[in-house]
Amino acid sequence: MSAKLYLIIPEIILVVGAVLVTVLGLSRAKALRDAVPGATVGLIILAFLSVFAVTTDERLAAAGLLMPGLVVYGKSLILLVSASLVLLGVGLVDRRLERAIGSGQVAFDPIRVQRGEHHAFLLLSIAGACLLCNAPDFIWAFLAVELVSLPTYIVVASSKSSRKAQEAAVKYFFLGALSSAVLLYGIALLYGATGTVELEPMRQALAAQAASGGISTLAIVGGVLAILGLCYKISAVPMHFYAPDVYEGAATPVTAFLAFIPKAAGFLALILVLDVFGWSGHSFTRGDDLYIIERGLPQPITALLWMIAVLTMTLGNIGALLQKNVKRMLAYSSVAHSGYMMIGLIAGPAGIDGVSGINATLFYLLSYAIMNVATFGPLASLERNGEEIETFDDIAGLRQRHPWMAASLAIGAGSLIGLPPLLGFWAKLYIFMAGLEAGQWHLVLVAAINSGISVWYYLRLINDPLVAQPTARSETVTNGPSIWPRAAAIVTAGLLIVAPLMLGRLVSAANGVTRGEATTAVAAPPTETVVSDASR
Amino acid sequence: MTTVLPSLASGLASVALAASDAVVSPADPRLVQVALVISVLLFVIGLIGFLTRRNMIMMFLCTELMLQAACIAFVTFGRMHMNASGQVFVIFILTVAAAEAALALGLVVLLYRKRETLSSEAWAELKE
Repeated sequence: MSAKLYLIIPEIILVVGAVLVTVLGLSRAKALRDAVPGATVGLIILAFLSVFAVTTDERLAAAGLLMPGLVVYGKSLILLVSASLVLLGVGLVDRRLERAIGSGQVAFDPIRVQRGEHHAFLLLSIAGACLLCNAPDFIWAFLAVELVSLPTYIVVASSKSSRKAQEAAVKYFFLGALSSAVLLYGIALLYGATGTVELEPMRQALAAQAASGGISTLAIVGGVLAILGLCYKISAVPMHFYAPDVYEGAATPVTAFLAFIPKAAGFLALILVLDVFGWSGHSFTRGDDLYIIERGLPQPITALLWMIAVLTMTLGNIGALLQKNVKRMLAYSSVAHSGYMMIGLIAGPAGIDGVSGINATLFYLLSYAIMNVATFGPLASLERNGEEIETFDDIAGLRQRHPWMAASLAIGAGSLIGLPPLLGFWAKLYIFMAGLEAGQWHLVLVAAINSGISVWYYLRLINDPLVAQPTARSETVTNGPSIWPRAAAIVTAGLLIVAPLMLGRLVSAANGVTRGEATTAVAAPPTETVVSDASR
Repeated sequence: MTTVLPSLASGLASVALAASDAVVSPADPRLVQVALVISVLLFVIGLIGFLTRRNMIMMFLCTELMLQAACIAFVTFGRMHMNASGQVFVIFILTVAAAEAALALGLVVLLYRKRETLSSEAWAELKE
């Protein structure tokens, strides 16, 4: 069995698990149907453990990956967070139907139950995000990105039986189809400019172009289109305007899923695309000397990323200021956080203390994921007359009846602001330091001003549950049917406090992603032969 | 518009040819140029159609048009570089496009049953 096959064993577990879960969800026995979320989480944890069992240095070297370090860090991040995201959705699907079956009003009908499919689609989407971590070529990467998105369209449409969910699904789908076409055209132009779809040879071909008079316009245009296509996945400007509508329309646990898995996949794909363009500089040796031709990304790409980052942060924060609906506000805040993460991408390999911009972005992704569960968790686990809670009125004075949920919401919001002891502060600090180190102080200034603006609306998320008096609406808020969403919210909120104590280990895990790459580049400068070919 | 697009397209195509002069290219350059112009035209037509049409089926067909534009570009570049990666990619794109079509039609049927119209403007509950 080849190295590539060994490395995708976690994804194989997830895909086989998706089939198992679908069948389990069709079972006539209620106990088996109720076991579906548990089985899903079990499969994710099994896949998580298998990541460590199957990943060895030899296999990583044989698989021909662009960034071998991404495999362990990216997959374990995605799998651990998605386990908690699945827990948020326990008790969501088929709730009314199961109650009706339980009370004998309707007979069990395999056509009407959806729980199995719902969890199967979640597993497929997670498998797609994991596959992206060991993509050796653009065919693989494109298929992985599509595997992330296609199941989420169905999950959004079927998450609630209201028209809002269907409207959200159709908006999400059409913009998704548009963006994947743009991404694909970008990949086509990159292929045209380099003659290969494999990432590592493409990087060498572009390095050769940079060595002999600059990267061709065709490749630059391709890169720009690919980045614009991926902006949809990370909900960045110019593809961000679907986010508030879709986040509001989908059921809250699904919203939390959408705010992390496609975004993680988008950032991983962006890292691969930008790495093809030679982040760390195109180095080659002539005689005994090591030459570095160009450090960092090509000028037009940097300028594009710069504009995207500034607009994303600003529009996200201004949009969030104006919201009355908590889910809409968190959607805009998710847009703004994508903007902060872009700073790390622009900084690239520059950074302090061994934490480069890429590492800072990956670390930010980790902390954003935890904050995301901690803030969406309380919204997912409480309800009012069987409807989900989404306005600020619903969460006012939550401390009196649901102190744990109020605390979790407040800690999550505090971390999203970047209050010092919490994890979000450290993530922001590393991103900003990487930006400063790369000389992007304009960008860091804009980000700092934006963080200031964001305090205003995040404070409402702290103030309303903890300080404000309960309203007529929030008096009737009750616990949801399952304990698991509450458990996930409390555990992640606890992590936001505890994780900074293990900051060193978390950051060094994120650092491992690029360190391996740097050593291979120095040990065997691969560009040398290509350079002499092209400059002939 | 009619004069800008072809010149833009041929500009792109000539850049492509200039970039590939290190590669053995037995394909007729004019063929490559014409195919690339068609591909760019298809892509732009699809994009404009997507932005201006309000019928959901038409919008979906426009995204299909854009995918096929990418397919033509892949095949052309594959011919230009004389390797099969482009052709292989196209087979996968066709599969993805089929999956998207199944999903799109399912969604559109679901929405049509609720509102009895295909116009995307009938769906505007979610807004600021």
